[in-house]
Amino acid sequence: MLSYNFKYELTLLLRSRWIQLLSLILVLLFGFSTYNGLKKVETRQDSIIKAKDEVKESDAMMLKLLDSVERGMEVSASSWTIPSSPMAVGNYHPRVAAMEQQPMSFIATGQADLFTHYVKPTVSGDDASLNFTEMTSPVQLLFGSFDLAFVIIYLLPLLIVAFSYNVLSSEKESGSLRLLASQPIGLQHWVLQKLVLRFFWLSLLVLVSLTLVFLVLGLDPFGEPTTFFGLVGLILVYMLFWFALSFLVNIWVGSSAKNAVALLGLWVLFVLLVPSILNQLGNSLYPMPSRNLMINEMRTMKAEVTEKQNEILDNFLRDHPEYALNDTTQSRGFYHRYMASQNLVKEKMAPILDSYEGQLQNQQNWIGKFKWLSPAILVQESLNRMAGTSKENYENYRKQVVAFAGEWRQHFMPFLYNNKDFSQLDYPNIPEFNYEPKAQNSWVSIPPLLLIALGLFGLGFLGSTMRRTHSIIMDS
Amino acid sequence: MISKTFFKETKELFREGRVRISLIIVLLLLGVSVWISTRQFQNVNAQYAMAKTSERDVWDNQGEKNPHSAAHYGTYAFKPKYPLSLVDQGVDKYAGTSIFLEAHKRNEAQFSAAADQTGLARFGDLTPDFILLFILPLLIILLGYNSFTKEREMGTLTLLKSQGVSNWKWLLGKWSALFMPVLIITLTLFLIAGILLDNLQDFGVFNWNSLGVMFLVYMVYYAVFINIILLISSLVKKSGIALVASLCIWILACLAAPKAASNIAENKYPYPTRQEFAANVLQDKKEGLDGHDPWSKEAKQLEKQVLQEYGVDSLHQLPFNFNAYRMQKGEEHEAEIYFKHYNYLKEQYSNQSNIYRSLASISPYLPTRFLSMAIAHTDYDTHWDFADAAETYRIATQEFLNGNTAKNTQYGERGYKASADFWKQLPAFQYDPPELGSVLNRNTSNMVVLATWLFATFGLLFFTTKTL
Repeated sequence: MLSYNFKYELTLLLRSRWIQLLSLILVLLFGFSTYNGLKKVETRQDSIIKAKDEVKESDAMMLKLLDSVERGMEVSASSWTIPSSPMAVGNYHPRVAAMEQQPMSFIATGQADLFTHYVKPTVSGDDASLNFTEMTSPVQLLFGSFDLAFVIIYLLPLLIVAFSYNVLSSEKESGSLRLLASQPIGLQHWVLQKLVLRFFWLSLLVLVSLTLVFLVLGLDPFGEPTTFFGLVGLILVYMLFWFALSFLVNIWVGSSAKNAVALLGLWVLFVLLVPSILNQLGNSLYPMPSRNLMINEMRTMKAEVTEKQNEILDNFLRDHPEYALNDTTQSRGFYHRYMASQNLVKEKMAPILDSYEGQLQNQQNWIGKFKWLSPAILVQESLNRMAGTSKENYENYRKQVVAFAGEWRQHFMPFLYNNKDFSQLDYPNIPEFNYEPKAQNSWVSIPPLLLIALGLFGLGFLGSTMRRTHSIIMDS
Repeated sequence: MISKTFFKETKELFREGRVRISLIIVLLLLGVSVWISTRQFQNVNAQYAMAKTSERDVWDNQGEKNPHSAAHYGTYAFKPKYPLSLVDQGVDKYAGTSIFLEAHKRNEAQFSAAADQTGLARFGDLTPDFILLFILPLLIILLGYNSFTKEREMGTLTLLKSQGVSNWKWLLGKWSALFMPVLIITLTLFLIAGILLDNLQDFGVFNWNSLGVMFLVYMVYYAVFINIILLISSLVKKSGIALVASLCIWILACLAAPKAASNIAENKYPYPTRQEFAANVLQDKKEGLDGHDPWSKEAKQLEKQVLQEYGVDSLHQLPFNFNAYRMQKGEEHEAEIYFKHYNYLKEQYSNQSNIYRSLASISPYLPTRFLSMAIAHTDYDTHWDFADAAETYRIATQEFLNGNTAKNTQYGERGYKASADFWKQLPAFQYDPPELGSVLNRNTSNMVVLATWLFATFGLLFFTTKTL
């Protein structure tokens, strides 16, 4: 029976032009979205390369200047930018701390349109004022991006709904159901076979069109086999989930139109409502402290600190006797006081900044607990992680940058407090930033999604055997 | 005949379980979303008021200080939430809420809410505008997809034709039966929002006119959707196909078109990255007058010019402190540079807007979205307005501070400190969003597009149903 079903289903799908139509739609959607993703990644990568080149150029200039200064020549730069002063190097020759793009970054925009991909921390800037948000028109952020993740999460389920909502009901409506009932196969078996076949064809189309689009756009799908098959696997189990829902609806609900409405309702529920309600609840349960009030606190603190600069410097030097010892001149200027007080501000601000991280972690944990309510959330999370554009990735990057900023500052502190000039010999020792992406397991959400889908199929089976097949046929 | 059709259709709708259930769900969602938004609104505004007064305290109590130190210390401009954001949150979540106003630099608004949220936030929020823009059109589809197809399927079409009903009366009856539930839901929502806002005393700018115009915009949007759904229902033979086709339109108009538009707009007219922007500004600044640097070529030139103007031959003879004067000139020069670079951003955005507008021809969602945001003062234009006002205030503040130094000190004098009560003389930052009239003026093109949608779909519907 399966082989008959297979043969006729294929003929049917080809004759009704479903396969042709679906291939066309899939190629168009995948093509447009992949192209968009690649374009964005390219722009980001370009800007990083450009920034690094600029640093190289300005470094060459700096070395030239240093050379002139060391030879005792007159230089034509503003006094405070001459690189023999360590603070000038630390402020005017910062390094590029860039978040390099991952090989799969194009599949999901994630938070990439919201955050910047490189910053240049300076010695006198404080961590709280490092701005990690990107300059984007908020309208674009509001509308979001037409990326592969959007096609997979939002549109693919709708294609499945359109492809499978009337598997049983159309037989009922055209009157061929009674004919079918005379065949030696259970009704739910028959629906299941039909849906499994459609799932098979759609999977094949997805796989082929995705590979095709990747190849045409110059990507090597098999260059990173684990991530590519992780992506395909994720798409397939997500599709299986929607086919499972369709199976349930086909068996339990009645006419074509009612099926379509029911499936659409489920789509709205899983893709639109559950994520936004979870997000809203997360925000209400663990509200972010007000940033405006944070500004107030920071300002008051800075004002206090500025008043007591001399005292702070004394305390700082008492805590760091190594600085007081090595310097023979003991001259103290603006930067000595400033850096010491910056240090204090940083220490005092830490608990406030931590409260944001803590609340974000709470929200994340809360979502982690309930994300099982909607496969759309699971898939979004996995795709973002695969692309390296999830919130965690950007938090991770931010932490690495803050650590690097500290390293950068610390590197120049001995120069400053020992009143030692920065020289050409010191240039090779200045710290560089290396972004270390978090290791991602792209297969992790596949088993639970598979279990959910299979569970739904099982539920459909159990339910329909209890609800006698003949009643479905008699209803027609 | 119109009223008979109307009553029959309405009765039929309310007898059906799925309609009752979906109406209840929509009302429930609306209730929840209004409740959440109201809480958020009050919360944010309380924080805003607190931040504003506390910031002013910090400024007023700086004590004795050099005015230019105070300029570097700076002050903040905070963006309030406007009353109608209760109905449409617009881009508020993605735009920064505070601008740091300091010497020499125009800063962008910082700390958008979205940057502090998890990745889930990008699915969207359960807010009234989400229900109004996405869910209600879906409800219309659900109620109306089989308006005509059911007559065919049940065979009542022939019966109806034998009655000698003129098609347009029949159509109008069906149309109003679809419109009525949507009208009631929206009207309830807007009335509740209006009453809620009317009772919040502190946040002044709410007026009923804006709410009314916004209501009208949504009514036009729904009318367009009803026209499209009825048009499909009258052209297609089967209910199932009518439903799927209507859904395709919905996906295209509400989901796909805005996202595609945003991608096309970004590809064609990209914004610079934050660092590129900063680098460009720095480049321009290097080439001009730096208020801190008396030895640059530009500074020498300014010196000569001022000496000539006052007919004296040394800076000491000027009636004001030349250092502070140069500082102010440098400030003005830098402000010009920022003006130029921000204008470039605005230009890019207005080019992007043209793309949104041209794609509005396949999506009535786009003009509605833009109009609704604009009326609610939660659109990007209002944000620009606010940022510009803050910049004007920043420049005025610098003039105020540099002027004080110029007047009270001699050339070459160091260590001047303004008295502790001087800071209170700085007028507070005040920003009022544009009035309804000018908002509508700015959005005439969106209104024209929406009106075109309305009349075109009405016309099409009328002509196709002539021969049913």
